[in-house]
Amino acid sequence: MTSRMTRRSKIIAGAVLGLAGAGMLGSILESGAADVYLEAARPDFQKVPIGILGFQDGSLPSRPGKEAAAVLAVDLRRSQVFAVADASKLGIALTGPNAPEKQKLKQAVGLGVKVLVWGTIGTRDPDYLLDRFVYDGGSDEIGASKRYVGSAALLRQITHRLADELVARYTGEPGIARTRIAYVSEQKGARELFIMDYDGHAPRQLTSDGFLNLTPQWSPDRKFLVFTSYQSRTRQNIEIVDLSTGKRSPLVSLSGLNITPAMSPDGAKLAFATSQDGNSEIYTMEMQTKALQRLTVHSAGDLSPSWAPTGKEIVFTSDRGGGPQIYLMSADGSNVRRLTFDGDYNAAPAWSPRGNWVAYVCRSEQRQYKICLISPDGQKRAQLTSGQSIDDSPSWSPDGRHLVFSSTSGGKTQLYMINSDGKEMEPLTSIGSHNSMPAWSSAEIQTVDSQPTEKK
Amino acid sequence: MSTPTRERDAMSRACQTIGAVMMAGYLLVSMQGCSKTVEGTSGSKTTEQGVVKAPVTLPGEERVSDDIVVAKAEPEAARQRTEEMKQEAAATAGTGLQDVFFGYDSWTIIDGGKQALGADAQWLKANGGKALTIEGHCDERGTQAYNLVLGERRAKAVRSYLTDLGVDAKRMAVASYGKDRPFCRDHNEDCYQQNRRGHLVLRVK
Repeated sequence: MTSRMTRRSKIIAGAVLGLAGAGMLGSILESGAADVYLEAARPDFQKVPIGILGFQDGSLPSRPGKEAAAVLAVDLRRSQVFAVADASKLGIALTGPNAPEKQKLKQAVGLGVKVLVWGTIGTRDPDYLLDRFVYDGGSDEIGASKRYVGSAALLRQITHRLADELVARYTGEPGIARTRIAYVSEQKGARELFIMDYDGHAPRQLTSDGFLNLTPQWSPDRKFLVFTSYQSRTRQNIEIVDLSTGKRSPLVSLSGLNITPAMSPDGAKLAFATSQDGNSEIYTMEMQTKALQRLTVHSAGDLSPSWAPTGKEIVFTSDRGGGPQIYLMSADGSNVRRLTFDGDYNAAPAWSPRGNWVAYVCRSEQRQYKICLISPDGQKRAQLTSGQSIDDSPSWSPDGRHLVFSSTSGGKTQLYMINSDGKEMEPLTSIGSHNSMPAWSSAEIQTVDSQPTEKK
Repeated sequence: MSTPTRERDAMSRACQTIGAVMMAGYLLVSMQGCSKTVEGTSGSKTTEQGVVKAPVTLPGEERVSDDIVVAKAEPEAARQRTEEMKQEAAATAGTGLQDVFFGYDSWTIIDGGKQALGADAQWLKANGGKALTIEGHCDERGTQAYNLVLGERRAKAVRSYLTDLGVDAKRMAVASYGKDRPFCRDHNEDCYQQNRRGHLVLRVK
């Protein structure tokens, strides 16, 4: 019996799959893979055990098949929808482009996997072609193949697309493997905007202003970023950049600070904080008419608005009670009430896309700045991160299962991903002296294919 | 050179053909792929024969494309701003103007700060034509966003104190950089103290 398998996962695996060989399963599934509780999603969801048999790449010199299999395995593990089996223990060797024998696939299912995926990667200059096959143990069928094409430079994106397809197929929801994270990075002493893939790959510099660009947030259609851009020592705007053209335009140029923009879920309004009235207040602006509406009226500082996914409420930071705390209000500024009461420093709230949590920065009893969660009714609260560091700017993945945030835990300020249950924290950036203020994009709008989702 | 045009024509034909045979749901994906492919033609690989192959998306295939264009830099605007800020720093260095330091999470002017600002006010009165920017800065503790607000309070506290000493508020603009333009980058109290600052900068324009 493997020592990597916990007692709890044994029980779950045995119960869920109804298999006699729970011990065998333990040796196939990666360590911790049977940890099934999805804090922010569906508590009853059991991970789907999947085996990746590999991608035949013929004689292609760069071994894209190996890379695709590795990327897919990480995507599927991160999705929290799948438990990825150790393919080498399934007894199936892909030989050439032909499908494995059905008998072998059935045997693998007998070992505890439910889904098997494999494929081929070929070229059609200048593209890669990825043909994928999926065998579902439930239906005992190899469904229709599907071909993804893309430039060879986009192999990771092509593989991410396959991961998202599999997630959509077994959850009915879009995957996050093709989402992006916008953030702020120090370049030559300045703060510039960057965008990277959700897994930290392919960072791209968006601005080269040589000064300060801060607090980026995505438009809901993920075609634009809004952010604070310093024009001069004393003047700063909230700007919008069209990511398909690179065109930048000013949105808010009021006197004073114009910070922490956040577009409403329907894209019709921009909430932000401005100090044109003397101290920082939250306003909304209609994107069409540019009409302003003041939401907060208080002599203290109000900032960092974050919309509920319904668009009906806004959570924000205010120090009207002394130190900074998290408050809620209706989207018209009425019905203001305080949400956090634990501790004397709570700030930078981010409402989860599922609506059931607000992530924020809390100061712990050890005076460390940590990532915390609180339910919008204030009833449930959890501290996600621990240790000696300054953690900041939590932002949710569109599936609500992950957060990205900045932390000084490695010495420099870098970005990390963490599951919404506080597990599996992993670094996303490691290059440079400072990466901060991450903002996770919405999921790509995908055509979800109409295969049945897994029945529970 | 006519090759790109030919490619676009070929692409456009391919897209039309695909479009014609696609069902509505699929069409969206395919059309995105096609339009993106045309844009991306310059990024196509050149083969050994020097012939540029245009990517093609056939019926039943789904094209995965990149969707982010890197914004154009404005090097001239950035260069001018950097130059002006250097001039301001140099001009400030010759004045003897003193900065003000703050306590943790505080924007109260403390005794040392009062002395510094007293001297600053004298200088400003003696140099009536000069204008200032007062920058508020913070140490690395706390969130970046909230520190922007805290930095503005510090800058305004400095302006308010100088105004009380008889300096015209119109000569003093305020700015906040929160914790994002630190003077010191270590993680200790000495460094934090250096960064909790009202920084006075002479304006050159």
